[in-house]
Amino acid sequence: MAGKKDLLHVGIDLGTSRSAIAASNGSRHVVESYVGWPVDMVARKVVKKSILFGREALDSRPMLDLHRPLERGLIKEGSEKDEAAVRELIKHLISLAAPADGQKVNAVVGVPAEALRVSRQNLRTAVKGVADALMIVSEPFAVAYGMDALLHTMIIDIGAGTTDFCVMNGRYPTEDDQRTLTNAGDSVDDQLMMLVKARHPEARFSIHMIREWKEAHAYVGESPGPVQVTAPVGGKPTLLDITSEMRKACESLVAPLSETMLDLLSRVEPEFQEKVRRNVLLAGGGSQIRGLAGVLEKTLADVGGGSVRPIEDPVFAGAIGGLSIALDAPGEDWEQLAG
Amino acid sequence: MTEMQRLKKEMLRGAVRENVELLDDRVYLERRFRRAEKRWRWPVRVLSAAAAAVVIFLSVNAVSTGGGEKPEVLVVTPRTAFQAPLSGPHQAPRAIAPALFSLEVGKVVLDPGHGGADPGASAASGLAEKEVTLDVARRLRALLEDARYKVAMTREGDRGLVLRDRATFANAERGDLFVSIHVNSIPRKDARAVETYFLGAADGPQIEEVASLENRESGYALSDFRRLLEGVYAGVRQEESRRLAGEVQTSLFAGLHEANRELLDRGVKSAPLAVLIGTEMPGILVEVSCVSNEEEARLLARADYRQRIAASIFQGLRSYMDSREPAPRTAGRKKEKGS
Repeated sequence: MAGKKDLLHVGIDLGTSRSAIAASNGSRHVVESYVGWPVDMVARKVVKKSILFGREALDSRPMLDLHRPLERGLIKEGSEKDEAAVRELIKHLISLAAPADGQKVNAVVGVPAEALRVSRQNLRTAVKGVADALMIVSEPFAVAYGMDALLHTMIIDIGAGTTDFCVMNGRYPTEDDQRTLTNAGDSVDDQLMMLVKARHPEARFSIHMIREWKEAHAYVGESPGPVQVTAPVGGKPTLLDITSEMRKACESLVAPLSETMLDLLSRVEPEFQEKVRRNVLLAGGGSQIRGLAGVLEKTLADVGGGSVRPIEDPVFAGAIGGLSIALDAPGEDWEQLAG
Repeated sequence: MTEMQRLKKEMLRGAVRENVELLDDRVYLERRFRRAEKRWRWPVRVLSAAAAAVVIFLSVNAVSTGGGEKPEVLVVTPRTAFQAPLSGPHQAPRAIAPALFSLEVGKVVLDPGHGGADPGASAASGLAEKEVTLDVARRLRALLEDARYKVAMTREGDRGLVLRDRATFANAERGDLFVSIHVNSIPRKDARAVETYFLGAADGPQIEEVASLENRESGYALSDFRRLLEGVYAGVRQEESRRLAGEVQTSLFAGLHEANRELLDRGVKSAPLAVLIGTEMPGILVEVSCVSNEEEARLLARADYRQRIAASIFQGLRSYMDSREPAPRTAGRKKEKGS
């Protein structure tokens, strides 16, 4: 059996938009979930690499066969290229964690809560050979584990492709304890794109600019101040006011999130409902939407009140949780999960 | 051991158990497919040889009888789905050859994009996509009906429909082809282009962007997704859709280029468009122009240009239909009673 020093444990949060890794050697990295291959020899000469990842890939996209391989946090079905892209992405993440020569890697990968069994199989197939042993867990479970929030807690993990709900009842969560919605970061981007286009038809902007604006200014409820962004109009950088569009796009999440939260709460054993209501945690990039926790608390007020709070490190919470799982799992368990 | 440690141990056990089951599934599936491959190898060879013999016999017979009326024989090509290599559990079944089915086109469902409160893309002049798509669809209907095809339209006037209702309508009408008509709006204001989509995985982030915009307000619930996605790679429908898209795109570009010399041919693309996932017949989504381009918006406002669009799509549909039939129609289709 390998000793602790011969092993590198990693937790990976595999996301539609960003993927993060936390490793037992202390390294933490996050990359945008893009993988690109140069389209021809000329492109290869220009980019000077055989494969590019994350922001670097996005910035060189005209010269690349670019893939965002994860659909709702899972490998897109039916595409060998996307399967290869996810393998390369995980390989890249592990290489960022810099395992020592000959060091074995045990990886815990977080995927959306309602991931289909076959998709988990796809993931396992894609990662074959990249890590020495692999465990796949639901993202909200990884977050809860990392925060010791395993009892009477609801995790709402708002990612780019999906929003995952998970009630922690002190047992390993089953399908009944979890929900996945496709109302998430990407759906807010689509809404915002449409609304800004309608208000400023003369302005030119891309979905990537929309994402950056959202990440900087997302809010619901009361405006924290005017939301102004710069985009070219007739070739000239122009200041655009998108305050109301930002609120409307972000608030498109409120109704589905509130309904699902209440629905899951109603399924908790009656004597524990109040405890869960008082312990709702928002994770994922979407937890940074200003005012969202307050709006969800208002929803809870209708059923007796509760507390909703964003977690402190939404970017790495899933990966850190995965790492905790990896470190806690005994060696004999990892032996079962090898290959 | 503290309560938290006990909980963590319990949950880890659950996570490991789930993953081991997943691994067992994979091993089981791999074994099962290997057995299936062995079991089918000889019968398939025998069937293939028999099918080849039938083909040779029929060919010789046709020559010796002077090539009279074609016998109605379903020719099974030697390469069948059973011969797909079964190297892994996730191997998709090989697509069925469309030539196996001699299927006529009787009814075409036309889907003018957007409508009602959803104007779609708009030109600076105020011209809305929903007006153009409806007008082009009406003109296309007239051309198809003149050629004695049955036509159904998802909307006859300015009313909104979610994508799910459009697909449900097409299926209820038992259409043989589905043509969704849209007008593009692209960030490059100087670009004029036509492109045609059929159902498949998106080829890149830009196409994902088009798909996510066109998939807004799909009306599908998360619970529908698995069933919907299972339909994406249905081989025959996808292959027929690809051929249909090719014919329409070629004809559309040729027809419009005469009047619009700077028009770009952006070709045939695949994308996971919700309206095409839900329909059960071969279907395409045609972006007939770019309303974001001032000159194209001006052309789109003209009745003769819209007529040219309709005629070009009609020619493309006709080429596709004729290529499927034993003998090209020189006269119109015989109109069915009551149609």
